[in-house]
Order: sequence, then C-alpha cells, then structure tokens
Amino acid sequence: MTVDVIIQVLIGGVLLGGVYALVAFGLSLIYGIVRILNFAHGTLLAVSGVVASLIYASYHLHPVFIALLLAAATFVFGYLFYMALLHPLGRRNHFESTVGTVLVTVGALLMLSDITAVMAGATQRNIQLDFEAFEIGAIVVSSAQVKILLGITGLMLAIHLLLTRTWFGRALRAVTENRVGALICGVNSTRLKALTFAFGSTTVAIAGVLYAISFPVSPYMGFGLTVKAFTIVVVGGVGNLRGALLAGILLGVAESMTSLLWKPEWAPALSMILMLLILVAKPQGFGKKSA
Amino acid sequence: MSAAHFRQWLLPAVLIAALAALPFLGNAYLVTFTFTILIAYILGQSWDWVSGEMGYVNLGHYCFYGVGAYVFSIALVAHYPALFAMLVAAAITILIAVAVAVPLFRLHGDYFAFATLALLPLAEILAFNLTSITNGGDGIVLPIQSVLKASYLIALGVCVLAFFSTVWINSIRFGYALKSIRNDEEVAEVLGVRILPIKIKVLALSAAFASLAGAIQSWQMSYIDPPTVFGLNVALIPIAMVLLGGSGLRWGPLVGVIVLACIQQWLLVNIQSLQATVYGAIILLIGRFMPGGILRAPWLRNSRWFGALSQEHHEYIVEEKSGNKASTADTLPLPAIQVNRSKPLLECENLRMEFGGNVAVDNVNLKIMEGEIVGLIGPNGSGKTTLFNCISRVFDPTAGRIRLAGKDLSELRRDEIARLGVGRTHQIPRPFNDLTVQENIAIPLMFHDTKLSSQQAFLQAREFVAYAELEHRLTSRADSLSLQEKKALEFARALACKPKLLLVDEVASGLASSEVMRFVEHIRHVRDRYGITVIWVEHIFSALAQVVDRVVVLEQGAVIADGTLNEVVTNERVLESYLGGTVARAH
Amino acid sequence: MLELKNIAVDHGKLRALWDVSLRVERGELVALLGANGAGKSTTLGAIVGLYPLSEGSLVYAGAPLKNHTTAATVAAGIALVPEGRHLFPAMSVFENLAMGAYTQQARAGLEENMEKMFTLFPILKQKQKQNAGELSGGQQQQVAIGRALMSLPKLLLLDEPFIGVAPKIIAEIIETLRSIAEGGVTMLLVEQNVHRALDFSARAYVVENGRTVLEGERDALLNDPGFSNKFLGLD
Repeated sequence: MTVDVIIQVLIGGVLLGGVYALVAFGLSLIYGIVRILNFAHGTLLAVSGVVASLIYASYHLHPVFIALLLAAATFVFGYLFYMALLHPLGRRNHFESTVGTVLVTVGALLMLSDITAVMAGATQRNIQLDFEAFEIGAIVVSSAQVKILLGITGLMLAIHLLLTRTWFGRALRAVTENRVGALICGVNSTRLKALTFAFGSTTVAIAGVLYAISFPVSPYMGFGLTVKAFTIVVVGGVGNLRGALLAGILLGVAESMTSLLWKPEWAPALSMILMLLILVAKPQGFGKKSA
Repeated sequence: MSAAHFRQWLLPAVLIAALAALPFLGNAYLVTFTFTILIAYILGQSWDWVSGEMGYVNLGHYCFYGVGAYVFSIALVAHYPALFAMLVAAAITILIAVAVAVPLFRLHGDYFAFATLALLPLAEILAFNLTSITNGGDGIVLPIQSVLKASYLIALGVCVLAFFSTVWINSIRFGYALKSIRNDEEVAEVLGVRILPIKIKVLALSAAFASLAGAIQSWQMSYIDPPTVFGLNVALIPIAMVLLGGSGLRWGPLVGVIVLACIQQWLLVNIQSLQATVYGAIILLIGRFMPGGILRAPWLRNSRWFGALSQEHHEYIVEEKSGNKASTADTLPLPAIQVNRSKPLLECENLRMEFGGNVAVDNVNLKIMEGEIVGLIGPNGSGKTTLFNCISRVFDPTAGRIRLAGKDLSELRRDEIARLGVGRTHQIPRPFNDLTVQENIAIPLMFHDTKLSSQQAFLQAREFVAYAELEHRLTSRADSLSLQEKKALEFARALACKPKLLLVDEVASGLASSEVMRFVEHIRHVRDRYGITVIWVEHIFSALAQVVDRVVVLEQGAVIADGTLNEVVTNERVLESYLGGTVARAH
Repeated sequence: MLELKNIAVDHGKLRALWDVSLRVERGELVALLGANGAGKSTTLGAIVGLYPLSEGSLVYAGAPLKNHTTAATVAAGIALVPEGRHLFPAMSVFENLAMGAYTQQARAGLEENMEKMFTLFPILKQKQKQNAGELSGGQQQQVAIGRALMSLPKLLLLDEPFIGVAPKIIAEIIETLRSIAEGGVTMLLVEQNVHRALDFSARAYVVENGRTVLEGERDALLNDPGFSNKFLGLD
C-alpha cells in the first residue's frame, strides 16, 4: 500500500464526495427553504444518469450538452411538480402536509424508477467515454475523472455565484435565515419555493450526468443515494452549503478508503454508520443553526 | 355480559372465525392473498404505535421485519422448532430495538425520520456482508414444508393480538403517554410523564410484532435474501398503507392495508408491466388529495355507512356521577396542604440563565414562602417566563441553584419536578390538541399517582373540568376550544398536577374583566383552601392587586424590586422602566 | 392614508383581533398602545399582509389593497420593522439592507438608497461587511429600520423597536425617526412605554383584548386621569 495508491484512491474519493455534495446541495436547499422531505431526490439522479447514458450511447452528444438538456427538462419538471403536487399540501394541517409529502414523493419515486426501468432495463450502465489517462508522478488520473472534477467545480462555482450575486440567491439565503424577515422584505414565498425546488432538482440532474461518467447507474439506486444525501445534509447543517460540501467529501473519502483498506462491500455501510454516529453525538449537525 | 356488549363482540368474533376457517375451505390463492394482508396489517399496525400514536415517524420500521426474518430462518435451519424460532426472533429483535432506541430518540422530528431511514440500506448491506451469519446474497433457504395453513393461522393470531393490543393500549396510561408525546413532548414531561422508558417500550413492542411478521412470512416463503426483506420497494409499502387508511385511527391501518393490498393484487393480475408505476401513482394521488387517509376524508366521515370507521381513539366516561357536581373549589380532589408561612418553599440562589451572549436571567435571588401568592411583573423580555422555565427545568440554568422545599432541583428530571409538586401554565396555552378536555386533565392525574387507574383518573378529571366550568366541552377536542376555554383548561390541568407550587404565566391576558375576576377567585381559593403557593406572572395590575401578598419586579433578567404591591407601584425605578413616567404623573 | 375598519384576524382557530379600527393620515405619527397580548403586533402584521383579514376592511391610499400579501403591501409602500427585528444573522449588514430593496421598484435605486441609509445610520457604514448577528442590540435595531426604509415606504410600521436597546441609542434612533418623518414618511409606532410613545406621536390608539378601546390626541390623553388606569387595567 504505497502513498501513491492512497492518493489515487483519495482523489477518487474526493470526486465521489463532490458528486455526493452536489446531490446534497439540492436537497439542503429544498429542505431548508421548502421544508420538504423529498424521497425521490436520489431517484432523479438515477433517472438522469440512465437517460444521459442512453442519449450518449445513441447520439454521442457531448456530456455538457446532455447535462444542459437534462437540466432544462428537470427544472421545468421540478417547478411543475412542486406547484401541482406539493404546494397545495402546505394549506393543510401539519400532520397531513407532512404525510402528504411523504406519500407524494414516495409515489413519484416508485413511478420514476419503474418507468425508467421499463424504458431502459434495470441493468447498470454508464456513459462510456473514451479512456485517456494523465500521469502525475506515479498517480494515474483518467480524463473522465478530470471531466468530473471540472463539472463539479463548474457547477459549484455556478451555485456559489447564483447564491451570492443574484437576487434569487440572496432571497434564498434570507429565507433560510429568517422566514418572517424575508417575507416582510417582499419575497414571494410561493414562487421562491417553486424555484428552489426546481433549482435543487436541476442540480441533482446535472450531478447524475457527472456520476454516470465514472460510476454505474441503475434505475433503482436512487433511494440509497437519497439516504446518503439526507445524512450529509443533516451532518453539514441544513441550508449550510459549505458544511454539505465538507460532509460530502468526508463521505466520499471514507467510502473509498474503506474499499481500499478493508473490503469494498463494506464501503457504503461504514459511511452510513459513521454518519449515524455523528448524528447521534451531535443531533444538530455541524452547521450553523438557523435563526 | 349485557346484550349490547355481546353484540359488540359478535361481529368481530364471527369475522375471526371465518378467517380462521379460510385455509380449510378456500383455495390456496385466496389464502395466500389474505395471508399477505395479515402480515401487512401486523407490520402497519405495529408501525402506527410509534408513528401514529406517539408521533415519531419511524421510516426504518422494516428493519425489525428483516431481522425477525433472518433470526427465524437461521434458527429454523438449525433445526429449532418453528414456534420457538419465532420467539427467539422476537426476543433478539426486541433487544436490538432497545439498544438503538436510546441514541435514536435523542433526535426529533425530521432528524429522527432521516436517521431511521438510513437504517434500511444499512441493514441490507449488513445482511449482504455478514455472510457467515446470513449467507450473504445467496440468502437462506428454509426446509421445504407445506406450512401455508400453520403460518396463516399463526399470522391470524398475531393479527388479532395486534388489533386488540391497539385497543387496549389506547385505554391505559401507556397509551396516553404516547398521545401526550405526540402532541407536545415538552409539556407532557412537565406534567409528570417520564418520556424515555415510554419510547423504549413502544419501540420494543413495535419491533416484536414486526419481527414476528418477518418470521412468519419467511416461514411461508421458504426463502429470504437481503433485497426481499430490506429492499425499499417493500419497506415503505406498509407505511404507505397505514397512511392511506388513516394513521392514529382505530381502523385506519386495517382499512389502508386492505385497500392497497387489493389494488396491488388487481394490478398483478391485470397489468403486465408498469405495475409499480400505477401503484406509485395511486400512492401519489392519495398523498395529494387525501393525506389524512381515507378515513379522514370528509365525505367518508359524514357517510352513514362508513362514518363509524373514522372514530378516533378517545376514552370518556359519560355516565353521571352520583351526587351533585358543585363547581366550587371545595370538591377538588386535591390534598389540603398544611402551610407554614415562615418556611420557604422555593429558593433561587444566584440564578443565572444565558443563551449565547444574551443574559435572560441575571443573578436572581428569590425566596417564596409556603402559602404566599407572589406576583411577578416586568416589561416584555424581562425574563419572567425564562425563570419559570428554569424552575420546571425546561432550561438548564447556566449557574445558581433552585430549591423546592429544600430539595435541589438541578439533579431532577422534569417529570420528577412535576411529581415533587410544581404545576404550571403557559403564556400561550399549550393543550394536547387532538385530545379531549377530559383526557387533557386526566393525563397529569394518571402520572402523578401511578396507583390510579386510567378509569379512576378520568373520573377525577371530571371534577377538575367542572371546577373550570368546561363540562359542556368535556368531550371536545382541545384544539376546538376558544382562547378563554383553553386558558381555563390550562389552569385546571396545572391543578391536576396536584402541585405545592403553582406557576401561573399570564393566564388573564386576552380575557374580559369578568373572566379575569374568576381567575383571581380561583387563585385565591387554591391558596386558601389547599395551601398551594402561587407565583403569578401578570400584566393586569387590578387582578394582581386583589390577591397578591408580594410583588417581584424583573427588568432585563434582574430583580429590581421586591415588596408589597403598593411599595412596588410607587417605586420610581419600576415606574420608569415598566410603566413610563406618565403613570407617576397621573397619580 | 391608511384606514382599518373593524378588522378581525384569526390565528388558526383562535381569534386574535376582534374589532380594530384606526386611521392614520398622511405625514402623521401615530402610536398604538396596549398591554401584552392586546393585539398590537397582530394589527401591524395584518396591515402588512402577514395575516389575512377574517373580517373588516383595509383601505390604503384611498383604495382597498388589491392583493393582500406581504409582497404586494411592500410594493405598495408599506414597510414593517417587526418585533424582534428578524434580521438575517449570517448575512452582512449590507446584504440585510439590500434585502429591504427586494421589490422591483426599489432594486433600481439600491446604490443611492444604501448611501442614504449610511448617512442616517453612520455606524452601519462602518460595519457594513460584518454579519448582522454580531452587532449589538441597538445597532441591529438600526439595521432593521434601515432595511425597512430601503423599500422606500410611504408608511412605516414599527413594532416595539426599543426592546433591548440602550437608552442613549434609543434617543439617537428617535431623532433619526423624526428626521425621516420630516422627509414625508408616515409612521405607526407600537410601544409599551407610554411616556416614550406619546413623546413621539401626536395621537394614539389603545388596544385591549383585540379591540381598539381608546383614541385621542396626546395632550387629551395625558390629562385624562382615567387614561392610565384604563390602559393598565387599574380600574
């Protein structure tokens, strides 16, 4: 077990963690602002990844185009989904709105994964990019990994800019910090929630394309991913994107290192146990508590 | 057994008998179908005890099913008799449930749901990887036996047990603890309910039944592997069934299970592909349009045929109590405390409460004698409610000591403090919203004196309800009360804690002057007749002036005056900070 | 400019306001007094659209509001400085103020109005990059008022703006408010301290148990021996 190998695996882990973080970003925003437990969140990644693989296999479009295509489609879908199915539940009492969103998102999960499985088959697939490698010393980095890195960085930069430079982003942050305060500034709560839901879903769709470049996707993998995203969000703190990034990378690295140093089949479990332990030790996570 | 009683149990008895006869009369298809309904019901109902009754949405409930299935299968393969294997499965699952309950219940609300959600894929991975125990992905193959009849009958037995357990739980103290936690956990504790053991017990019970479901079903299927027992598609379905029918209702889980199982079966037969899509679509539509469950839909509640199914679990004793129901304080079942005016009941020494940088209670020193009525006043944000919260241990003081009748409160839990003799109301009433007035008051009675059965508690509660003049609202849900009624309920419920010290937090604001006077009389009565010491936070001076022996004034967390009402009202500093100079001029 | 006629507001099943009527003319400074829980905050919240009206009417600038949401009322020129401030603690002072200019019309003049705020509240210019949560009570209150002003309101509602603020800063803030008023902004102030409230406003309403029970000019109220009694419930 040389240092080079460890670094190699670490790189893989950081990239994986970066994708996880992207998935968790979307969920963090949705949960922080719309206050909805979206069970179908991870399934969006699975569907996006499968569709992206199919498109690539059939038309050989550049992954960036595929990502933009899927992003636009998911944005519209997310907006409409929220307005038609989730927003009306907010008018009911707390118990019914919580239960209602659980049922709606679980139903969506079942529908999405089943339709995708029927369309594309349940087997795993991914975007088979041509393999090229770069060598930095003794460390081999594939072009796919570089592309993922660029994708992650690009997306995170875009999100950061959106959050800090646009009025939408400012409103998002304001609502996370203090709902009432944002309301009295004239923020239109409904539209903001719908846009947040759409935006969060778009993020996850793009993450799906990135994920599919290096890792296999299948229609039914969504739920496990949703669980990981949930735990990342809670550990990193709801609405705290930096925390989600850190937690995501922690998870990705933990999984990769476990695969390397112990047994690969334990990788997903160990990271979950880690997260559960952290949750129990510090029930509010590590992020800032909202006002 | 009276005729009515007989009739009530006749229908269920007939149904159960019919179901029991099924394997001997019906075809295998029907038996298998009914069997899946039985299993689903056991799973769903056991889930509902933790989620619908107690309000903790346990998304990982299916783990117990899976563990039960595996333990049973391993025991069966090791040649233990089936029934014994089932019991072992239940026992081990209970142990696991107890072990995870303690850390898990430190989480609340959504965080609890998240954490329990994560248990499912974790369990699946454990099942895959611990191949020496579970045989990994190959699964466990059970000895092939024709066990349809036997497994069906056992399942029926467990089903019936689950149903009657539900009915029974809802009539005893344990069930009311669950329901009080569901409504307001903090208030439940402050009223004397000891929370953690209740949570552990209900989770253990829930786990036991779920594990039996897993054991029985795996016996029938003769084969288990990780995705079969831990997979998502299966894991959330019993939950969706209960929610579909109506969580927290007596018939909700049963109705939901039957409806969704029938739909599932119909789909299997009639639709070749996209079954899960149709299934998912149905769940989605129910969630969108009928999230309270079918049984809570208005059209069903009001229908003649099905309305009875929508009943909530409520206990009330409607028979008239013999003798007259006087509405004065004299008939309250409260102990008459002998008061020693020179003995301090409550002592606060250098009490300090800080939140971050904000000092809410600033070195408060206070001595309240037995039998005193002390007014506590001060402007908004001066720390009055925080002081109450420190006494009832809702907050842990940053520094200082509080003693009740000489006993240091810092070592005690909230429910112990309640039982020691502290009762309180809240500034904004916090009744148990989906419980009736009678149930609200019966709960502290039940938990203050554990020798009291729930029936006796309900009887006693009627006297408090009469005292609060809420008899006409006895069986109304608390959330349907007006503000004045809620405040009366809050006050009566605090009295039902049989307190030595009563903390009253702004019970009179928002009320008309006649209603205010009634409260003044109540406060005077409880002190004169029962020796209860009262600390009363109030803004309405005319009310305080009638009864208080002493007034303490807080400003920004510190005591700035402590004396008779007259002394305080003419105190320059108090006037300046609280009333504004106008009042001084007007006098 | 603003007229509430017999409004009633419910919080869920609980009626918080039963019958509140008041009138604020353009350019006036009016105070809303009353004990805790009387309904003062609810009244302001109802004006700005946080709570829908169950009964009664609200007329602003001569016409009933077309759309009674907070977004619409802010756009129409009503701004609230809420009790407890409700700032965004992890966002900078600059961003807090900027959020006040969220409405489309106000965004255009962001730079200009920000400068005006800094002139009114010089200490905020100094602390503009600091997170709002780190400021003292008095400074936070200034941010809250500044944020409300950024939407260029014609009517400013202030809900107990002096809680937790040092007396010296209170005096400064009152001076600033006076100068803002001179600039043509109408104000409705909720205040527990009667003395301070009547010092500032020419007219006051007293709210008790969700109803307006008294109204009067400053001098009339101060010289009314029954006033303080009625207000404090000493009768």
